[in-house]
Amino acid sequence: MKRFTLVVGLVLVCSVVLTALVSLVWTPFDPIRVVAADALLKPGWPHLLGTDAFGIDIVSRLMIGAQTTLQVGIIAVSIAAVVGVPLGVLAGQGSGWVSEVVMRASDVVYAFPALLLAILFAAAFGGSTWTAMAAIGIATIPAFARVARAGTLHVMASDYVLAARSCGTSRMGIAVRHVMPNIAPLIGVQASVAFATAILAEAGLSFLGLGTRPPTPTWGRMLRDAQNLLFGDPLQSLWPGLAIALAVLGFNLLGDGLRDYLDPQLREVS
Amino acid sequence: MTHTTKVEGRSRWQRLLLAGLVAMGLLTAAACTQQPTVTVKKFVIGASAEPASMDVTTSPSAAGPQVMLYNVYETLVRIDGDGKMRPMLAQSWDISADGRVYTFHINPAATFASGTKVTGSAVVKSQDKLRSDAATTTVLRTQLADVATVTAPDDATVVFTLKNPSQNWLYYMTSTAGIVFDPTLIGEAATKSAGSGPYAWTAWNKGSSVVLTKNAKYWGTAPRFDEVTFRYFTDANALNAAMLAGDLDVISNVQAPEALSQFSDTSKYTVLDGATNGEVTMGFNHQSPALQNQNVRKAITMAIDRAALIKTVWAGKGQLIGSMAVPTDPYYVDLANAVPFNVAEAKALLASSGVAMPTLRIRVPALAYATKSAQFVASALNEIGIKTTVDELPFPATWLDQVYKNGDYDITIVAHVEPRDINKFADPTYYWHYNNPAFQALIAKADTEPTEAAWLADMADAQKVLTDDAAAVWLFMLPNLVVTKNTVTGLSPNAVTLSFDLTGVARR
Repeated sequence: MKRFTLVVGLVLVCSVVLTALVSLVWTPFDPIRVVAADALLKPGWPHLLGTDAFGIDIVSRLMIGAQTTLQVGIIAVSIAAVVGVPLGVLAGQGSGWVSEVVMRASDVVYAFPALLLAILFAAAFGGSTWTAMAAIGIATIPAFARVARAGTLHVMASDYVLAARSCGTSRMGIAVRHVMPNIAPLIGVQASVAFATAILAEAGLSFLGLGTRPPTPTWGRMLRDAQNLLFGDPLQSLWPGLAIALAVLGFNLLGDGLRDYLDPQLREVS
Repeated sequence: MTHTTKVEGRSRWQRLLLAGLVAMGLLTAAACTQQPTVTVKKFVIGASAEPASMDVTTSPSAAGPQVMLYNVYETLVRIDGDGKMRPMLAQSWDISADGRVYTFHINPAATFASGTKVTGSAVVKSQDKLRSDAATTTVLRTQLADVATVTAPDDATVVFTLKNPSQNWLYYMTSTAGIVFDPTLIGEAATKSAGSGPYAWTAWNKGSSVVLTKNAKYWGTAPRFDEVTFRYFTDANALNAAMLAGDLDVISNVQAPEALSQFSDTSKYTVLDGATNGEVTMGFNHQSPALQNQNVRKAITMAIDRAALIKTVWAGKGQLIGSMAVPTDPYYVDLANAVPFNVAEAKALLASSGVAMPTLRIRVPALAYATKSAQFVASALNEIGIKTTVDELPFPATWLDQVYKNGDYDITIVAHVEPRDINKFADPTYYWHYNNPAFQALIAKADTEPTEAAWLADMADAQKVLTDDAAAVWLFMLPNLVVTKNTVTGLSPNAVTLSFDLTGVARR
């Protein structure tokens, strides 16, 4: 059953990644070129999922949208992990006041939802993929810091760390040689879950017109364009909605599956 | 002792109960004697933009006059649904031979909602307010700049003397600039209803609605509704949903034409598709070096299939136009196909211009018609080899700041909804920075022409100058899309004035 979660998650994530990779070199139609005569075609051939109000092939737009989705996810999660993990390890290793400062600061950032921060950034610097990625990344830092700190505290209490310290290994040495390898699975799981959140946040921002700039297609923007057609042509909203749902589901399942697979305690219980 | 108290207590309860029953019986009897047939006739209008102030002369927003003009406040003369000049507070008017002196004869029946008579001195005081009030908008100040003196020789007459003849001035008087305030309430126009119209405004629920109540003492044809409410919706879909739920009698202007199919049931709804004064204008920044070349601008015009654009962007509603005028303008010349769509010719023209085209920045307000048009235009320009980037700027604040004030753009798309706004192209400081001395001279000459015929001829020429020079691309005329319950009658399909004119509206 646990394997099942992992496999379904992997399949969904891999299909998003593959789609994005393929779209780098090939899409069935031009994803930007307006063909007014082909507007709002029903699903069929050659437009498998039909066309949007601009006469652009929906499959092609969804494919390019996968690129944006992955780009935002990867960069936002990287920002969060690269800043959050060292902070968490530092807090877990450090003395009382270092830990306090880092964790209270992360509480403050935690208080701002990613979307709110992104709207703030968009207002200050103008909406774009970059402001969306930065905002989502910054808002996700505390989650990584917390997970990393909890893992570090656990590792620091172990006998082998005690042994390493008694041999005179530096703090940095312990962090690199003992803490990081042991908390890596935790970070991996967190990254997968954060990826799902980032996808949702990016879709939300693009839906509000604060994310990726047109004409670059994104799933959120496709939803926004389809909004007024909800009653006339509901399929227009279905496709991008389905894409977002499946991608988010995929990364969440992957995270769950990974956790179950990697966590020795959970493995023993089953 | 306790026993006695108990007896007393019980009897008190009994007395109270009896008194209660008697009172209820009396109330029921009283209620029965009232006529239960009296119903308040209510009319609810759904709209998208809320007024910024109840004194419409202090805000340039069109949302104020939409509610107030002709409904709460009246003017000496008015424009009807066909764009014709009609009497209102003035039953007739004379214009001197030199076109400088206008004498209005006020309808002797006219009174304000307070009961005060509408007199010449009320008109004088209203005009004084507009000219002396620091809060009066610059648009109104410009419109009234031609007036030298306003005098009231007697109660029934008011005389305007202009500094020079003006073909536009009387037209301005049909709108906000011509409003006549009740002189007893003139200082409180922002908080009190001070008009002579068929309705008086009685409540402004900020962020939600404005309520008008019937003026029982109206001097003209009695209003048909007891209460009229303008309800505001920022979201186009919420507006449509309220109409579908039966909460509204009218949607004053549909903001999402692709959703009109929801109202296709003619047994329930009527959809009006008329004209407005709104030109969806794709403006060039004439300070951008590449766009200073006339051939480049013409090539861009030719590259855009505007008929297809209307279909894609505004669900095929709206009309093709070719210059800064709409068909309901008296001077309108049909230039819609003066520069036809032709990709091959556009490419050739662009090549012959010899201009190395930079990447053009299309920066539009984040409004549905503008963002969709921008996407269409970006694709069309790509076809003739012009690269573009598209920015969607929050409207109004960011767009006004960056594009309108700072001129930080190459191309923008905005609907210009003010009536007769072709003269904006004669102002080189306006955000297009279009500086054509010949056009400026033509517009100045037109306004001071002694006869209407000469004015019409000049204005026709002015439209042609703009089209020939490709001063901008006029994408389409915004349609006036109104949805009503099919029991509603008397609404004009055209929105040629700023007013949502309730005077002829009735419900079967």
